[in-house]
Amino acid sequence: MIRRLATVALASGLALTACKKKDETAPPALAMPAKRVVGLVTDVGGRGDQSFNDSALRGLELWAAGARFEGGGYRPSSADELKASLTPELASRQPPIVPLGVAPLVVQSKAQEDYEPNLELLVEQGAELTVGVGFMLENAVEAVARRNPKAKFLLIDSPVLDASGKPICLPNVRTVVFREEEGSFLVGALAGLVSKRRVGFVGGMEIPLIKKFEAGFRAGVASTNPAAAEKLLATYTGSFDNVAAGKQVGQDLMAKGVDVVFQAAGSDGLGVIQAVKEARAEGKDVYVIGVDSDQAHLAPGAVLTSMVKRVDLAVYEAVRDLKAGTLAGGDVARGLKEDGVGLAVVRLDFPGKLEALAKLEALRQRVVSGELHVPSNAAELAAFKAQP
Amino acid sequence: MLSVLEALVFSTLDYAPALVFAALGAVLSERSGVVNVGVEGMMRAGAFAAAVASLAVPTPLGVVCGMAAGAALAAVHGYLCIRWRSDQVVSGMALNLVALAGGTFLLEALWSPTGTPPIEQLHRWVLPGLDQVPLLRALSGHSSLTYLAAVLPFLFHFALFRTPVGLRVRAVGEKPAAAATLGLSVPALRYGCVVGSGLLAGLGGAALSTSTLDRFEHHMPAGLGFMAVAAMVFGRWTPLGAFGAAAFFALGNALRIGLASSAPGLVEVIPQGFLLTLPYALTLLVLAAQGKKGAAPAALGTPYQPEAR
Repeated sequence: MIRRLATVALASGLALTACKKKDETAPPALAMPAKRVVGLVTDVGGRGDQSFNDSALRGLELWAAGARFEGGGYRPSSADELKASLTPELASRQPPIVPLGVAPLVVQSKAQEDYEPNLELLVEQGAELTVGVGFMLENAVEAVARRNPKAKFLLIDSPVLDASGKPICLPNVRTVVFREEEGSFLVGALAGLVSKRRVGFVGGMEIPLIKKFEAGFRAGVASTNPAAAEKLLATYTGSFDNVAAGKQVGQDLMAKGVDVVFQAAGSDGLGVIQAVKEARAEGKDVYVIGVDSDQAHLAPGAVLTSMVKRVDLAVYEAVRDLKAGTLAGGDVARGLKEDGVGLAVVRLDFPGKLEALAKLEALRQRVVSGELHVPSNAAELAAFKAQP
Repeated sequence: MLSVLEALVFSTLDYAPALVFAALGAVLSERSGVVNVGVEGMMRAGAFAAAVASLAVPTPLGVVCGMAAGAALAAVHGYLCIRWRSDQVVSGMALNLVALAGGTFLLEALWSPTGTPPIEQLHRWVLPGLDQVPLLRALSGHSSLTYLAAVLPFLFHFALFRTPVGLRVRAVGEKPAAAATLGLSVPALRYGCVVGSGLLAGLGGAALSTSTLDRFEHHMPAGLGFMAVAAMVFGRWTPLGAFGAAAFFALGNALRIGLASSAPGLVEVIPQGFLLTLPYALTLLVLAAQGKKGAAPAALGTPYQPEAR
């Protein structure tokens, strides 16, 4: 408990430490009436996963709170920093993304059994909204939300499920899932246009969530390059934390003629990117497509684009709704239409880039308008391919 | 087909060094009678220190810093186990936890917690002549650590079984009291072996952050240290045995990956999970077949107490 309180004190870096010594029952929000507290519990991936958790933290800390976490505490961020983190689509969104003046309170989870106490702790500390990042927090969010009907929760990547696995609705929990297949569809279409030989896919653990990426990706490749879709190689590394295994998989695929590879494999994916980077250094014409966040900085020149999952935007909009008083429970699915998923800026040049981007935009429009339904599993994929 | 085989060998050689060094480290410590399950933590310290140091100094020097970090952690293990005769398994596990949390903490405090910034990777040596020959080509283009990992086990094996120092190390691991009556200092020898074990484990960790990847990534070494300990047991506490076992694990891993993408139909018949467990299941089988032939040093895990009889 002491350790956990210390984490909170460290994470908040604000006057919260003082509150702890006073009356334990007085919520700190009362001590600081100016700022409303929004809590966030990471999953075991934690701060620094360069994708999922970091994206959620960006939405809360940099965008909603206008703060930056550095050296164990917060400092106010400049307007330029916020601007630099926005893609053109996000910068032109209405209403614009501006700091909302809330105080972030972040607790990282080191193990599965931390989730529930961490959520409970943030509620005790007066967080009006608490974000649970990742499907692994589903049970914990449900339990804590039932015990604290006045507090509000945002669960990322999973609906609340009952004992038999059926989605249920709690009045104080908003859940957000992403239509990853739609973003994967777009990067698949791009891969089909860029590839000269063979297209590859690397997944982490073989779970339905990652299968969604694969199905969308395959459909995207099929829509622009049916021949490449037939030869497509898909492999799973079996983990999300093993860079070395990811690198081996990347090398294996390239040895089999793959020249564009999409990875959805967490830290293993960093190994895939590394393998492609090294192959490029040897003069091979190969590309990799990143996932979740824009991963171009990891290997400039090798990362074609990234399939970004806008967890940050989902968190930010929940905080905005909280301030506006319109945050209600319920399930939300975010796809291309809602800017829930999308493509990072394509920084690399390749022959026919302009035509390729125009084609992608046309495909995107068809998905947004609902004319094109992107498959999210193997059965839907088979039906998709059967279409003319 | 040939290119697939080539890729298999290449990726094995790229992956194996970290495991080989760590397994050798485990052998060195345990041969002297000190259980070392802290290999994972020492690798983590080595990987972290090597990457951080390489930001400021040339990468080969960074690797040396990684070794030093592994040795520093090992020295703590030695102090607890030799000076204070603490439980060696507990001390090792505690070090793993310290390294796990310490690495994360320092990473967060010094950089964005996203891992260290990229460093210059260790130079990859292209062997002239060899890089044109099909198949043998796979032996070319690795960092110096790969070539070191291919030679070191033989040197270590020779030193352990054919030199006076090696005999002394084995003696304190088998019957320290007897070694002491001949005038050997049991604590000094054990300290030397434990610190040496840290150097090797640190080198293994450094291989991950300077050769496999070009920075420290916050999951490193992701269980490789425990695999190294398994390789040591599988290799019956001998350097060459541990080397063979580590190479076997690395090859098994590469084979699994190669099979999955070469024969997609196979993955539909045999579940991925089964392929994933294959190297470990084989290890269990081999260990079971070996039976109780007492390969472990007799005094392993027993603190040396001169007063005890």
